[in-house]
Amino acid sequence: MAVRPIGAEIELTAPARVAVRESLAATVSRFVRKKPLGAAGGVLMLIMLLTGVFADVLATHDPIATDASATLAKSSEAHWLGTDHLGRDIYSRIVHGARVSLIVGIGSTILGSVLGGIIGLLSGYAGGKTDLIAQRLLDILQGLPLLVLALVMSASLGPSIPNVIIAISIPIVPRAARIIRASVLSIREMQYIEAARALGLRHLRIAFRHVLPNTIGPFIVLCTAQLGAAILVEAALSFLGLGVPEPYPSWGRMLSVSAAEYAQKAPHLVLYPGFAISLAVFGSNLFGDALRDTLDPRLRGA
Amino acid sequence: MRPRTMTFLILALGLTGALILEGAPAVGQAAKAGGVLAVAQREDTPQGFAIHESSTVSTTWPAMPCFSNLVIFHPLKQQESVDTVVGELAEKWSWQDNYRNLVFFLRKGVKWHDGQPFTSKDVKFTFDMLREAPDAAGKLRINPRKDWYANVQTIEAPDPHTVIFHLKRPQPSLLLMMASGYTPVYAAHIPPAQYRTACVGTGPYKLKEWRKGEFIEYVKNPDYFVKDRPLLDGIRYIIIKERGTRVAALQAGQVQVAFPGDTSKTAAEQLKKAVPQLVITRAAENVNENVIMNTKRPPFDNLKARLAVAHVIDRRALNQAVHQGGAAIGVSMPSRPWGVWGVLDKDMIAMPGYGKPIDEKGRARKLMAELGYGPDKPVKVEIVTRAIAVYVDMASFIINELKQIGIDATLKQIETAQWHAMATRGEYQIGANLTGVGIDDPDANYYENFACGSPRNYTFYCNEQIGAMFDKQSAEIDPKKRLALVLEIQKKLEDEAARPTLTWRVDNFTHWPQVKNLVPHNNFYNYGRMQEVWLDK
Amino acid sequence: MKTYIAQRLGIAVLTLFGMSVVIFVLLRLAPGDIVDVLFSAAGYVNPSEKKAILQELGLDKPYWRQYVEWISQIFVGDLGKSYRYDLPAWQIIKPLVPVTVELAILSTIISVVLGVPTGVISAVRQDSTLDYALRVFSLAGLSMPSFWLGMVIILSLVTWLAWIPPLTYVSPRENLWLHAVQFMLPSLAVGYRSSALIMRITRSAMLEVLREDYVRTAWAKGQNERVVVWRHALKNAVLPVVTVIGIEFAFLIGGLVVTETVFNLPGVARFLVEAILWRDYPVVQNLVMFIAIVVILSNLVVDLLYGVLDPRVRYAK
Repeated sequence: MAVRPIGAEIELTAPARVAVRESLAATVSRFVRKKPLGAAGGVLMLIMLLTGVFADVLATHDPIATDASATLAKSSEAHWLGTDHLGRDIYSRIVHGARVSLIVGIGSTILGSVLGGIIGLLSGYAGGKTDLIAQRLLDILQGLPLLVLALVMSASLGPSIPNVIIAISIPIVPRAARIIRASVLSIREMQYIEAARALGLRHLRIAFRHVLPNTIGPFIVLCTAQLGAAILVEAALSFLGLGVPEPYPSWGRMLSVSAAEYAQKAPHLVLYPGFAISLAVFGSNLFGDALRDTLDPRLRGA
Repeated sequence: MRPRTMTFLILALGLTGALILEGAPAVGQAAKAGGVLAVAQREDTPQGFAIHESSTVSTTWPAMPCFSNLVIFHPLKQQESVDTVVGELAEKWSWQDNYRNLVFFLRKGVKWHDGQPFTSKDVKFTFDMLREAPDAAGKLRINPRKDWYANVQTIEAPDPHTVIFHLKRPQPSLLLMMASGYTPVYAAHIPPAQYRTACVGTGPYKLKEWRKGEFIEYVKNPDYFVKDRPLLDGIRYIIIKERGTRVAALQAGQVQVAFPGDTSKTAAEQLKKAVPQLVITRAAENVNENVIMNTKRPPFDNLKARLAVAHVIDRRALNQAVHQGGAAIGVSMPSRPWGVWGVLDKDMIAMPGYGKPIDEKGRARKLMAELGYGPDKPVKVEIVTRAIAVYVDMASFIINELKQIGIDATLKQIETAQWHAMATRGEYQIGANLTGVGIDDPDANYYENFACGSPRNYTFYCNEQIGAMFDKQSAEIDPKKRLALVLEIQKKLEDEAARPTLTWRVDNFTHWPQVKNLVPHNNFYNYGRMQEVWLDK
Repeated sequence: MKTYIAQRLGIAVLTLFGMSVVIFVLLRLAPGDIVDVLFSAAGYVNPSEKKAILQELGLDKPYWRQYVEWISQIFVGDLGKSYRYDLPAWQIIKPLVPVTVELAILSTIISVVLGVPTGVISAVRQDSTLDYALRVFSLAGLSMPSFWLGMVIILSLVTWLAWIPPLTYVSPRENLWLHAVQFMLPSLAVGYRSSALIMRITRSAMLEVLREDYVRTAWAKGQNERVVVWRHALKNAVLPVVTVIGIEFAFLIGGLVVTETVFNLPGVARFLVEAILWRDYPVVQNLVMFIAIVVILSNLVVDLLYGVLDPRVRYAK
C-alpha cells in the first residue's frame, strides 16, 4: 500500500474490507488444498488462456491453409489430430479456435458484466423510482430467451467478431445487473456507508469508492460463470451459421455442416472440437464454483 | 391459316418424329404398383408449389409430381437434348416457318386435380402470364424466367386442343425451355397466388398434405392421363435441414432417395461403405461455381486484374480441395459427357487458368506486376460469398490462390436474405458465386448471366459484339453452325474473364435399390416428375 | 394477496409492451426483409416487383404504423399472416406448440429426476469421493454443447445400430413406442444439461438446511438419518429448487432450438430460427411474445409459490 496522508476522511474512505496480506503463493496453495476441483478447473482455464495467447507458436500449421492432397486424414506425425474435409490441420484449428473462443468469451463477458454491473450498481444504490424503472427495462431484456436474442442481434449486425461479442454480451447485461444490484442492496445499509453519507460525501463517490469494491467478489464470480455460458452461446451461434465468420477458426463452426456430413469417415471432425468446447466450459465452471465458494459463501445458492 | 397449309402440317407431323410417352416399360423387370416413397428434402419449399415464382431445386423437386408440362425430357435418359424431348400434355408438336412458329396439339380428356377439364386456354394463360403479355389474364408476383419468352410475339389458341406460339425470330431452344421442370402448365381457373399454398395440377400425383417445415405428402392421381401410371401409391418428401441428419436418414433407410445435389463424393463413399447395396449415380446438376468480379469497381474494372484472377485459380486443385475431385471442369457451358455445348479439352487448355498451374501462376503474376502489384505490394480486396459451407470453402481456397499474386483478400459472408440485393446493386468487388441453369442450352445461360443489363449479370459485363453473337446463335437453326458459334462465344468470354467458371457440380445421386426407374439427369431441375418410379418390395 | 397479484400483472403487461417494442425494433434493424429472401429463392431482383410485394404485405408503411397495427391486431386475436407461407401465423404455429411443450416438460422432469436426488446425496455425503464424482458428472452435462451431444447421439445410433429415431412427428396415438423414443433422446440431451444446475442448487440448499439447528436437534435426538434428510431438510430446500426450475424452464428455449434442429423435431424453437432467417416478422414477433408471456407467467407462478411456501415472505408483506 502506498503512503497516504493521515486524516479522518481518509480513514473513513478507505475500503472497509481489510485483507490480510499473505503472499500470493500461500493464497494459491491454500486454494488448491481446500478446493482441488476448483484448482483443476483453474488449470484448465490457464491452459486455454495460454493456448489462445501462444496459438501462433503452438500451432503446427496455418489454420486456414487448405491442402487438397490430405483431406480427412487421420491423426499422424504430420497432422496430430488429423485434417478436415479441406485438408486443414485440425490441431492448429483447435489451438487457434481457443484464441477466438477466448476473445469472444472474455470480450462478451466483460462487456456485458461491466455494463450490467454499472447499471446494477447505480440502480441499486439510487433506489426508488430509478431502480424501479431500471428493473423493468432489465426485465424486458431478460424476458427474451438468450439464444434468440443473440440470434436476432447477430442477424442484425452481421457476422464479424466484434458483432458477435456485442450480440452475446447483450443477454449478459440484465443477469449481471441483477447480481450486482443484490450485492449493492445489502452493502448499502451498512453502517460505514451511513457514516460516509453523514460526513457529506457525494453519492457518486460513495458508490464508486466504497460500494463498488465490495461487489468485486460477486463480480468475479459472475464473470467466470458467464464465461462458460458465453463460449457455449458462441458455439451454438456458429453452429447455426450466425457466429464467428470464416476464416477465423471457431470450435462451434467446426462442428456444423461439414463435420456432421463426414462424421462416419472421420469422427475426429466431430469429437475434437466438441471436447475442446466442453473442457473449456468445464474448467470455467469448476473454477467459478470454487471461487464463489471461497470469496462469498452467501452466494452459494445463487 | 389456309386449309392447305393445315393439311400439309398434319402430314408433316408424321416426319417430325414426335414421341408420345405412353409409359415406357421398365427395363428388365415387370413393374409393381404400390408403396409410398420417402424422399429427402433439404429445406421447406420456398414458394410452395409456385414453380414459376422460384428458381431453386428446393421448389421444383417437391412440386414437379403435381404438374405436367407441354413437353418434357424423357425421364429415363440421363443426358438431355432435343432428341430426348417427349410429350406430356402435348401429343404432337411441330416447328414451322423455319422455327418461327411452334404448334402443339394437346391431349384430350385431361382433367385438373379438381376435376376441371384441361384445354388450350390453360396453356395460353400460363405462357401469356410468363411473358407478361399486356392482355395476360394472370400475373406472377415474381417472374424470374420472363426473359425465356422474350421472343414470343403472340400465343394463339384456335381450338381447345391446339396452341400456336408465334415468335419474333427463329429460336430452336424454346422447345427445350418448355421441357424443363421449370415450365409446368398452370390452370387458368386458379389464381396464380394459390400455388404458393396448395397445388392443383394435371400431374401424376395429387397433393395430400403439406405440414410446414415437416413434410409434403402426395397421393396417386387416379385420373392421370397416362394409363397404368403412376405406379406408386404416394410420395412423402421429408424435410431435414441438418446435413448430417440427412445423410444419417438415408443410411438408416428412413428416406429412400437423397435430395438432388446433396451427396458429395466423400459422403457417397461413406454411404456405400456402410450400405453397399445403395445405388449411386454420378449426374451433373447443371450448376456451376464461378467468380464474379465487379467490372465497375477497382481493381477489377481493369481487364488485366480480372485475367490475373482467372489465370491464378487452379481449377483442378480447387476441385480436389472442395469436392475431392468429384466435380467437372468446364468453361461457361458444361463439357461432355455432362453437356453437349462444351469446348473440347484441347481448346480448354489454352484458356486462362486451364493450362499448367505453374505457367498460369506465372502469367497471373506478370499481369499483376504490370498493374504494380505483387506479393510484397499487395492490393487489398474483400471477397464476398453466401454464408453457406460450400461457398465458404470455395472462397477460402480462392483466398489462398490470390495471396500468391499479390491480392490480399478478406472474406465477408453475406446472409442469404441480402445476397442478391447486394450483388444486383454491385456492392462488392469480387465474390464466389453459384449459378444454376434451367436447361443445357446457351440461351438459358447467356441471356441471364452475360447480356448487357440483365438483372442477373452481377458483373455488369457488357459487350455489344458478344451480345450480337448471342442473338445470332439463338436464331441459328443448323445445329452444327450453332455449335461453332457457341464455341467461339465461350472462347471470347474466357478471354475477357467475364465470369470465370471454377467447376461444374456433379451430384452423386443416391437411392436405395428397391427404388426403380428413378434416373437422374445432368440437370437436377428436370427429373422430379416421378411418373415412372416404382418400388420393388 | 389480491393487490399483489394485480400489481404484478400490471407490471407484467408493461414489461410485455416493452418487449414488443424491443423485438419489433431489433427485427427491423436486421438487414434485408422477406422480399429479399423471396428474390433470393428466385435468383434475381426486380425493383418494381419488389415494390409491389412490399405494398401487398404492408411493409411500405411507416414503422410506427406497422407497430400499432400489429399490437391492435393482437388485441382482437388476429396474429397476422406469415409472410413466407401466406397463411395465418397461428395456423402454422399451432401444431408446433405441443411438440415443444412436450419436449420442455419431459426435459424438466428428467432434469429434476436426475438433479434432485444427486444433489441430495451429494450434500449428505459432502466432500466424499461420491460427492466429487457426482459433481463432475453433473458439471460435464452443463459444459457440453447440447447440439454436440445430440449430434454424437445420432451419429452413434446410425453407426452402430443403422437406425435413427423417426424424422417426422409420430403422435402417441399412432405409435406410442416410437413416439416415446422420438422424444426421449432429445429430452435426455437437454435434461442432462438442466439437471446440472438443479443438482447444484439442491446441493447448496440442502447443505444450508442441514446445518440448521432444528436438523441438528433431529440428529441429536437420534432420528433415523433417512427420515431427517428426506423429511425435514428436503422440505425446506424445495424453495430455491423451485425457483431454479422456474428460471431453467425459460432458459430451456435456447437448448431446444439446437436440439430440435439436430433431432429434426417440428417444434416452435426450430421454427423460430427459420422465421428469423426468413424475416417473417408476424411469426417471429408473435412467437417471441408468446415465449415472453410464458416466461413472465412462470416467474409469477414461482414468486407466488414462494409466497405460499415460505412463511417468512408471506408475513413480511
